[in-house]
Amino acid sequence: MTDYWVSKLFFDLQHDGKLAAEYRADMAAVIGRYEIRPDIRKALLEDDVATLAPLVNAYLLRFYFQIRGMPESEFIARLHALQKPKESAHG
Amino acid sequence: MADLVGVFAASHGPIIARDWETMPAGHRNRLAAGFDEIGRRLKASRPDLLVVISPDHWVNFFISNLPAVCIGIGDEHDGPPEPFMKKVFPHERLKGHAAFGRHLLQTALDGDFEPALSHRLKLDHGTCIPLWRIGVDIHLPIVPLIVNDLEEPMPNIRRCLAWGRLLRHAIESYPEPLRVAILGTGGLSHSIGEPTMGWIDEEFDQTCIKHFEDGEDTRLAAFLTQALPRTGNGAHEIRDWVIAHAAAGSKGFELIDYFPSPETLVGAGFASWRLSS
Repeated sequence: MTDYWVSKLFFDLQHDGKLAAEYRADMAAVIGRYEIRPDIRKALLEDDVATLAPLVNAYLLRFYFQIRGMPESEFIARLHALQKPKESAHG
Repeated sequence: MADLVGVFAASHGPIIARDWETMPAGHRNRLAAGFDEIGRRLKASRPDLLVVISPDHWVNFFISNLPAVCIGIGDEHDGPPEPFMKKVFPHERLKGHAAFGRHLLQTALDGDFEPALSHRLKLDHGTCIPLWRIGVDIHLPIVPLIVNDLEEPMPNIRRCLAWGRLLRHAIESYPEPLRVAILGTGGLSHSIGEPTMGWIDEEFDQTCIKHFEDGEDTRLAAFLTQALPRTGNGAHEIRDWVIAHAAAGSKGFELIDYFPSPETLVGAGFASWRLSS
């Protein structure tokens, strides 16, 4: 289920370098400007890929974790950990 | 009347730009050869105008306002905004072709299609990686045809075929002499930001290629409609190839090259269509 405000946060970070810099310095303050639920706020602060992945477009998710500075290899590994057993052959 | 002088397709992916200098030389050389051959054929076709069919990677549109199809009808468009693109393709402005863009828009509306329009689009890596690598003349006017390939629901494959035929009709009904080429970008299979990220579905890619070579629309549409939900999300960009295919007249294509490119996370494909008269 798409979460509009998490998507909006990720979209804004992609478009606004100053906001992205501010986000790196104080994530909680920036998150506070969006109507984001407490459990999702926690997931953002903890870089919880598993919780965030179903909420946003996959391309925005990738960009967001680039902004967060997560190495792509780690991002991919965290995504692969979400695969159901029948999908594992596609890894 | 304008003439369709060439129809091509090529993959794209941010890593192609970001890691071009650092990827293994053999891999870079093979990617370069595919792009170079399209560039050679495009130049030989002596186009006055290039229609580029591409997705928008959340650069122009968001889920608050997301067109299925948008035609760029401006005299000018913005170059790529991504920092990794500015290093390799540092063009802040790209020339548009307002007259053909408007003609395509009007032809669409007259044909019961209702695309969005934009007088100024930002042309992201989906458009500009192929332009960069094929060495396009930076003064060649571009008419962008942006297709929603990223966020479901997306245009169905039958509609993409219809868009291709409409594009061909717009070219042939344009009242001025103009040599028009088409470039579809994206695909083949890839998987981005989802649990299968990095998966390149070679079986899907090879079957796609077979159907494009065969050229038969019904079988192509049936295959893609069945297969797209079962492969990686990046494969949805095949819509841009489908539009190019139908614009060329569905007479089959010549595969220039295909190979899985795990270095860039895409099934890398390069193709040139046979044109129907």
